[in-house]
This record gives sequence, C-alpha cells and structure tokens, in this order.
Amino acid sequence: MQLDIEVQDLPGIGKRYEVHGEHGGRVAVVIHNTGRRDVYAFDGGKGADPDAEDDDAQAVVEFSDQQARKLGAILGGAYFKPSVVEEIEAVIDDLLIEWVTLDDNSPLVGHSLTGLDVRQKTGMTIVAIVRDRHAITMPEADEVLEGGDRLVVVGVRKDFKAFQELIGEAGDLG
Amino acid sequence: MGELGLPLPMLAAGAGHIGEQLIALGGAFLAAGLLARAGRRIGLPTIPFFIIAGIIFGPNTPGVVLVEDPETLALLASLGLVLLLFHLGLEFSLGEFTSGGAPLIKAGFIYLALNVGGGVAFGFALGWGTAEALVIAGAVGISSSAIVTKVLIELRRLANPETRMILGIVVVEDIFLALYLAVLAPFLNPDAGGLEAFLLFLRAFGFLLLLFAIARFGAKWVGKLLDTPDPELLVVLFLGLAVLVAGTSEELGVSDAIGAFMVGLIVAETAVKHRVEELVLPIRDAFAAVFFFWFGLSISPDGLAAVALPVAAAVVLSLILNPAAGIIVAKVNGLGRVAAVNIGTTVLSRGEFSIIIAALAASAGLDERITPFVALYVLILAIVSPLLASKSKRVAKILPKRWFPRPSGAAGSTAR
Repeated sequence: MQLDIEVQDLPGIGKRYEVHGEHGGRVAVVIHNTGRRDVYAFDGGKGADPDAEDDDAQAVVEFSDQQARKLGAILGGAYFKPSVVEEIEAVIDDLLIEWVTLDDNSPLVGHSLTGLDVRQKTGMTIVAIVRDRHAITMPEADEVLEGGDRLVVVGVRKDFKAFQELIGEAGDLG
Repeated sequence: MGELGLPLPMLAAGAGHIGEQLIALGGAFLAAGLLARAGRRIGLPTIPFFIIAGIIFGPNTPGVVLVEDPETLALLASLGLVLLLFHLGLEFSLGEFTSGGAPLIKAGFIYLALNVGGGVAFGFALGWGTAEALVIAGAVGISSSAIVTKVLIELRRLANPETRMILGIVVVEDIFLALYLAVLAPFLNPDAGGLEAFLLFLRAFGFLLLLFAIARFGAKWVGKLLDTPDPELLVVLFLGLAVLVAGTSEELGVSDAIGAFMVGLIVAETAVKHRVEELVLPIRDAFAAVFFFWFGLSISPDGLAAVALPVAAAVVLSLILNPAAGIIVAKVNGLGRVAAVNIGTTVLSRGEFSIIIAALAASAGLDERITPFVALYVLILAIVSPLLASKSKRVAKILPKRWFPRPSGAAGSTAR
C-alpha cells in the first residue's frame, strides 16, 4: 500500500494531488486557484481497458469549496465511522474516548440510562449523546436511548469490549 | 443602415450623446455575451464569438450597427487589453516556471522554436514587410493561455501526465510574449530609422529594467501604496496604478500592453497579490470582451476574403507545426501517441495574445491586412483546436504506433 501523496503544480490552474488505492487505481484531486475541486478517478483494476492509449480519467466529479469540505469530512469519518475503525480511537495512555452509533436493533434502544446501568456492567461511562446533530452532554439518568444515537463513552481500553457486547455490536466485528 | 438593416438609427453611436454611447456599449456587451453563450453550449471558447459579434454589429456588415465608429469604444477596449496583460503579469510566477523543472522548460522551447521560427519564415515569405513579418510570427506562434486552460478543464484532462507539458509550454509562451512585445516595440514605431530604432529599443529596455527593479526591490513600497483592507479602495487603487503605468509605457514607446504586464509582475510581489487576483477577474472579463468586440468592429467581410489565401496557408502551417511539437515533446518525455495529439491540438489554439499583437500592429499603422489576417486565423484555430483536442483519440490513429514505444499495459497505471 502506497501512502505517499504526490503533489504537482499546475501553472495557472492550481495544484494536483494523487493518492493510490490499496488494490490498484488512483484518485487525483485538482484544487483550482478559484477554490473549485475536481476529483479524477483512474480505474487500475478490472475496469481498466488494457488497450487504452490515453490517460483520461474514467470518472471526474466537480465540487465547490463547500461540497469538497463536506466530502473531506465524510472521508475522515466525521459523519459515520465503521465499527472496525472505531476501535482505533483517541487513546490517552490507558484512557479511551470512543464514540459508537446505536443501530435500531441494539438491545439498548428504548431503555433509560438508569435501567441499563452501563457503568456498573462495563466500567465505561456515557458522557454525551449526539442525537439529530444535537449534543446532549452529561445525559440525565432518565434519558431514553434511541436508534441512531451516537454515544460518546469514556473508560479504560480493556472495558470497551464489554461495552461493545452490551450494545450488541460484538457480532458485527469481523 | 441599409435596407437590410432594422430601422434603429438611434443604435448607431457617434461621438456626442452619452445615451447613444451607452446603448452602443450595452449592446456590445449583450451581443458578445449572448453569441458566446451559444458557442459555449457546443463547447467552443468565447473569444472567437466576441470577435464575430464585433464583425456582425460593426459598420462593415449589413444589419444592426451598434457602433458606427470603432473609436467610440477605443478607450474601453484598451482598458481590456491593459487588464488582460495586468492579470497575466499578476499570475506569472517564476516559481511556477522553475518548479516544473527542465522537462517543462525544454517543452516550451521546442514549441517556440518550431512555431515562432516557422512564423518568422512564413511572415517574411508573405512579403508584407519586416515589422509585419515579426508581428505575424508572434500572432501565429503563440498559443492562447485562456483557451488552453479552458479546454483542459472542460475535457477533464487536468490529471493526465501530458497536461503538465501543455501548461509548461503555455508558461514559457507567456514569458516569451512579454519579451517579444519588448522586442517588437521599436519595429512598431513607423518613424524610426536605424539609429533611432536602436535608441528607442534602449529606452524601452531601460524602462523595462526599471520596472523589473521595482518588482524585485521596490514591491514593498508599491504594496504600501495599494494596501487597504477595504476591497472597494483596493480596486480603485490598483486600477489606477495599472492604467497609469500602461499609459506612461505607451508614451515612452514601450507598448501599454507590456507596461500593464510589468505592473502585474510588481503587484504579484506585494502582500495584496491574492486579493487583487480575485478582484481583477470580473473587471478583466468584462473589458476583455469589449476589447475583442472592438477588434471585430474594424473587420469587413471583404477584408477577410482578401486575406483568405495567406490565412489558409498559415492555418495549414500551424496544423503541421503544432502536432509536430506535440510529437517531439511526447517522445522526449516517453508519452504515447494520444498524449502527443493532446499536446499538439491543445496548444494549437490561438486567441488573446495573437489579437493583442495584431491590435498593437494596427495602432502602429502597419499593413492593414494584418488585422483581418489575424482575426480570420484566430477565428479558425480558436474553433478548430478545441474540436480536434476533444477528438484526440481518433486523430491519434493517424500516427504510427511504433513511433511511441511504451511499456505495455494500461497507460494510466504506468504513466507518471
């Protein structure tokens, strides 16, 4: 896997960044001086035509500055983190700050925090709930959890597994 | 206003009534804009349509005459020329020139040697005169930055390996244009004899050196002169500086064009560069359109017909020399035949720079055939180049594959 990003000047237009995909293919991002961004995709896998003589991209999408920022945030995991990635989160020595999203089938959905007794059972503390883009910090004991809630939890790393099992996520982890 | 024309005598502006002049200017903007918009629908650049609007609504064709006397628009048109070159100077950075390294500079020199070289030979072969030959060499030899950039963006080729070569060629051409305008200056003074021409060249050169020195050592003070947090005041100040220096340059026998380019270079060295870059664009676009429209005003169908043969020859010459340069640059850099055709057909476009050189020649009173010659030449290549560039894969089939030995496999995954 190649993690290097190639940067090139495009005189009069802007800059070009190229990132290679894990299994072939690459993406070029052109940032125009005007703020516009173009994303060029090059198929290196089965879709690529071995007889192709040109270097034209297979797909090009144009974004405004604002749209590009949004896309960047999505790629960075600000909206949704796959559970596999969630494991590698902010760890300060042994302290773990983690956020997980409850799916609608989670056994926690419909229960209040008191009834769940999360801290006693797992050692993790729910410090905030993000619901409909609105943050509930230091939730009250009678707060009822809903599907789609994003829980911000704090605890020590070894307790996190128990927490995942409690919310019914363990089975999802491959 | 002939029988074919609409009975709108108030549309024809003479000197005098401000209302008439405003109608002429507004009509010019609208006509140019609407025609160019129609062209954009089919993927063509704007510049040829601005010129065509000038021809159609000018005094030399039947129908509506928006502007009877091109002089009416001369001042605003030269503002367009000044802003085009001011912006070119502003965007110009030596860093961009050198960051690409030797391959890009080499590509630029290969291109200029073939095209300006061929242009000089062609210019002298026409036999219109020495100054005329040099003007034609410049007009035939230098690509349009504006059209090249637009074509690359619209054909979505910004990530192709040959695109850097194309942009490298254009950057070298931009520098060359600035130097060429300086070299042309003495030839554009019709009264100058041998020694006088030489002195004029020295004076032009000295003034250029002075402006270079200001760009290099005095940018700080220029920055202080312009700097204000208020965008309104910044526009007023940089416009004033650009137009004043352009006018001074013109009076000193250096063209207003190159004076404006130098102010751009100077402002590029100041802290306000990026703000000016943003602010100048809409004004430049507006007045550049007036400039191209104005250029079209002085062109008549008869004038175009009279130069049809030399233009056809020049077009054929460019259709040979540009792809030739593309092939050489591609081979030197290990690129394939489609890349070669992409280079050759994209840099084939001609536009603002050719028109600027022709306008300078016209104001210097050179051979009258230059204006229609360059106009027709630009009209053809500004339209042919994007069309050919968009069909480059098919065009490339003409070239033998064995000219471009490449590693096997998909081009995209191997080329850098």
